[in-house]
Amino acid sequence: MTVLFVVTVVIAVALIFDFTNGFHDSANAMAGPIATGALRPRTAVLLAAVLNLVGACLSTEVAKTISGGFFDESLVTVPIILAGLVGAILWNLVTWLLGLPSSSSHALFGGLIGAVIVGAGIASVNGWVVVSKVLLPAVVAPLVAGIAAALATKLAYRITRRTQSEDRETGFKYGQAFTGSLVALAHGTSDGQKTMGVITLVLVAANLQAPDTGPQRWVILAAGVAIGLGTYSGGWRIMRTLGKGVVDIQTPQGAASGAASTATILASAHLGFGLSTTQVATGGILGSGVGRRGAEVRWGIARKMAFAWLLTLPGAGLVGGAAALLADNGVGGVIALVVLLAAACSVIWAFSRRHRVGHHNVIDSPEVLVLASASETAYVDATSEEPVAKPKKKKKHKAKSAV
Amino acid sequence: MKIDWAALGIVAVVSISATVLFVILLSSSIRLLSVARLKANQGNPATATLSAGYALLGLAALLVLFCIYLIVSQFH
Repeated sequence: MTVLFVVTVVIAVALIFDFTNGFHDSANAMAGPIATGALRPRTAVLLAAVLNLVGACLSTEVAKTISGGFFDESLVTVPIILAGLVGAILWNLVTWLLGLPSSSSHALFGGLIGAVIVGAGIASVNGWVVVSKVLLPAVVAPLVAGIAAALATKLAYRITRRTQSEDRETGFKYGQAFTGSLVALAHGTSDGQKTMGVITLVLVAANLQAPDTGPQRWVILAAGVAIGLGTYSGGWRIMRTLGKGVVDIQTPQGAASGAASTATILASAHLGFGLSTTQVATGGILGSGVGRRGAEVRWGIARKMAFAWLLTLPGAGLVGGAAALLADNGVGGVIALVVLLAAACSVIWAFSRRHRVGHHNVIDSPEVLVLASASETAYVDATSEEPVAKPKKKKKHKAKSAV
Repeated sequence: MKIDWAALGIVAVVSISATVLFVILLSSSIRLLSVARLKANQGNPATATLSAGYALLGLAALLVLFCIYLIVSQFH
């Protein structure tokens, strides 16, 4: 009875992680099309949500080995998985609050690795596999996507140099909407499967499913729906950073970066790298900024993202490890951990309400604010088409640190 | 434990060439369709240019379909 209770709780938490994964990564596909107006915000997230669901159901090969050999899966217990998920969810929510597009996959890997180290000892983690399958691709893949996007952007502008600008605009608008949709599909295939893998791992660990079997039908469907719902809810804070914060994006750039992201995600997933959709998409967007002459690339924000990437694995790992200490104390520990998770989520959500970003104002400003609105005026000048008459927030007295 | 440089190299080559190919097809198609539209507006329809534009668009779509075919294991 208690086993069934714990398993149910862990599956619920896994689906919550899947939801945060969806809204954290919604921006990867749709930030560009929304920023250029190729798709309207609500249409874009609906499209992305459906394609994520389709993508999740498309292929379940990766889901069979969630950890990809990072650690000995026979040592993994249900509380360890729960602790890893808690680490991943909290990291996702904090970075979302800051509007930072960090990697959900790395958060999941980090959380699980941290929990495994605490629960089963450091020897059970295979460091080399982590380096070759996670860390190295994390550096190479965004670079590849960036180079591809830069080349493609250059070519797109060169080929259509003499083309009527309204035809070019319309053409690439469709192109951008299309490649954005492809990114959503690719995201569903790669990230949707991670949660399926986690739930399957839980069922196997609890002896409710035979080892070495693929995810069950209801697991595939539940994971697909959770990631789809998450995507539909939008993650507007990250959408703003990716769509407006890094590069002032135009439709040919958007089409190029979407194509680059899709190609890189699919090629890497095909060869079994534990790849981050977010990092690839960011690399693609940055590359498209480098590829267009005269495009402004805000390297300061890019640097901030890079720090967040570096911190994701250890950060989620620390939270996961701490959670593992608590989760190891039987059913009481599990309940305490879930209560703490709910409390932390509520606090983060309450903070996000102070400076809301939603579909109504996602592309009004390039900045995501948490506490203060001090530097807001500085950016109003930068985006010249937005006049100063946009007092997005009434309260301006807390001029402390803009994040 | 060795790092699989060959696989990383394949990812780089495949991703970059697929992206570039797709964008070349898309941009050329947009260019041709625009030219065809301008000519049609001036009263001399350019059927050849128009069909070439749509053909390139079709090729771009085929490229995408082929890539999706490659990753869906049920098809193999």
